[in-house]
Amino acid sequence: MSVPTTREQSEDPGPGPDLNAPLDTSVGAPGDTTRESVPQRIIRALLTQRIVLLAILIVAVVVVMTVLDAGGYLTGPYDSDYLASALINAVPLAMLGLAELFVILSGRGGIDLSVGANVSLSGMIFGYTYGLWGWPVWLAILATVACGAFLGALNGFLIAYVGFPALIATLATYYAYKSVAIVIHDQRSISPKVIQDFFSSARSVEIPLVGGNLPNVPLGIFTFLVPTMLVVWLLLARTTYGRRVYAVGTNDVAARWAAIDVRDARFKAYVISGIISGLVAVVTVGQFASARPDSGVSGNGMALPAITIAVLGGVAITGGIGRVAGIILATLLIVWLNAGILLAFEDNQGSQYQLLALGAVLVFAALLNGVTTRRYGGTK
Amino acid sequence: MTTSTTAKGSTPSSAAQGGRAGRRVRMLPPPVTGQEFVLIGVIAALWVILAMATPAFMTAGSIQPLLVAAAPVSLIGIGMTLIIITGGIDVSVGAIVMVCAVITAKMMVDSGVPLPVAVVVSIAVGGVLGLVNGVLIAYGRVHAIIITFGTANIFRWVGLQIFGSSTVNGIPTTLDTFGRSAAGRTLGVPHAFLITVLIAAAAWWYLRHTAGGRHFFAIGSDEHAARLAGVRVQRRVMLAYVITGLLVGLAACFVIAQGTSTLDQGVGTGKELAAIAAVVIGGTSIMGGRGSVLGTVLGALLVQTVTSGVTQLGWKSQLSDLFVGVAIIIAVGADLIRERARRRR
Repeated sequence: MSVPTTREQSEDPGPGPDLNAPLDTSVGAPGDTTRESVPQRIIRALLTQRIVLLAILIVAVVVVMTVLDAGGYLTGPYDSDYLASALINAVPLAMLGLAELFVILSGRGGIDLSVGANVSLSGMIFGYTYGLWGWPVWLAILATVACGAFLGALNGFLIAYVGFPALIATLATYYAYKSVAIVIHDQRSISPKVIQDFFSSARSVEIPLVGGNLPNVPLGIFTFLVPTMLVVWLLLARTTYGRRVYAVGTNDVAARWAAIDVRDARFKAYVISGIISGLVAVVTVGQFASARPDSGVSGNGMALPAITIAVLGGVAITGGIGRVAGIILATLLIVWLNAGILLAFEDNQGSQYQLLALGAVLVFAALLNGVTTRRYGGTK
Repeated sequence: MTTSTTAKGSTPSSAAQGGRAGRRVRMLPPPVTGQEFVLIGVIAALWVILAMATPAFMTAGSIQPLLVAAAPVSLIGIGMTLIIITGGIDVSVGAIVMVCAVITAKMMVDSGVPLPVAVVVSIAVGGVLGLVNGVLIAYGRVHAIIITFGTANIFRWVGLQIFGSSTVNGIPTTLDTFGRSAAGRTLGVPHAFLITVLIAAAAWWYLRHTAGGRHFFAIGSDEHAARLAGVRVQRRVMLAYVITGLLVGLAACFVIAQGTSTLDQGVGTGKELAAIAAVVIGGTSIMGGRGSVLGTVLGALLVQTVTSGVTQLGWKSQLSDLFVGVAIIIAVGADLIRERARRRR
């Protein structure tokens, strides 16, 4: 049996809560794997460490696209400027992926189908407070995030305290939030002058100090994505609350016997998902330069891509396993792959092939997760 | 793995019912269960209220379109009920509707294929797409929601490729057999609704009175126990997705018939959520092992009643989604409370 030895090792340090167990395992323990040959070790690293696989796939995508570009097969240049500007799509995607990370980690079929509808409704609140009522921007953002948190809390209450299956509760609230978002302003968008000017939040900026040599990066990366990423990482990896979420997601009965308030931990996961949705609402209003009532649910919606990102990033749908780095790398892979596909096809064919790519990557990742679980006992 | 099996193991509905039956050994649940009576009552109450509020509601001209409109979601819901009973889910049905609809419409418009052939092809295409899902889920042993999220994207791509341009125009009127117009009715009963009722009756009998049907419940209650009891779990699970695909293929024909003579790329969007809503409102447990086809058809009727009621009352049509959401919460909430009481007893 090839049991991951690192986990056993990290269980040594006494009876106290082991703060690092599932997180630092990607580093691997030197010396433990000497019994395996090099190719075996590489295969194991690829299968069990999703981050390694994703990093290789990202490099592969960028290399293939660059080669195609050099060969003149693309309709536009696939260079660093293009890659940097494509990151604008990564902001909402990665943030909602982090939201899904939290709820899926919390276990018992955790999933949040309502994030897109939450983005729509919170975005309308931002449109009202900032665009129509003239609140200062910080207060409007606060109100939007509060709205998102409230909508998330509604999900959390139904799921954690009443005991609804997450899929059903968030399906119901998806319908409800979507409907309210459309009805609240009579199906119209809110786009007065101030909201249109808010588009500047989606502009690209030069990175200070070293910016001269690097392409300009969308501002949203620094104002929204990186802070969210850091906070989520700190919460999950460096606080007791984060450990509780992992514990509850891994085995909620055991967590209850360990004196963890299971319902509270799960409830908060949905509230955090709501807070992140509220932030994404602000980002989305900036990108569209208008608060649109269907911003988060039009077409495929925002929830399905976010769940795809989470699964691709190695989050186990059964809960308890998943990392922030996986989400970020999965987002980069999808965003840069999509950007390349858009250039590889004439007119709107590209957007259709993006669907194929997303679906194929998801099925591939899911089947891979299955293989990994059977051979190595799961991804890290 | 262990958590999910223990969670399911603690609430086996069949065991609870066996315990309640006590002296009378009854293997089957009653033909019509509590949730279904409640649903019938709620639908009846809604119809009475709507009839009082808008005189136009209780007329054939209003009820017949309601029944026609409820047919595709009921039909998809019947398949979805099977899947959810086995503990799975299929979020790709909306995309399957799109593929089947565009293939059927293109065949009829471009090659003048007669209606029966087109319907058979549509059902076959649905079956093949269902088979793709079924094989991946049963033999890939991956959680159904993830696989079907993936295949939904792939199927949608297939559909868009077949569409070519943005719409298919000039769909022939022979499809009106399944539509809202007078051609779609016999003795005042819409064909689409009649077919749905017949299929629902067959599914009800199959699930209740055949060993194969009971196997779905066994798998949903405890997959390992079912395998040990000799159920071919993987084949059964695959069959559930194939049956759903076939039903979705037929539902796609109804969907085209309900539309105008133009089919656009948005066809089928949201059908997966509507079907899941109908199934859970009908009292089927999303955890698997418990559910009924009758409840699903009633759930679809309730959703459609709410939708047409909202429009007929002159409210904004988008408000109906809010009521659908509330209906899901109430229906599943009531079921949760009953389940808790049952366990306490």
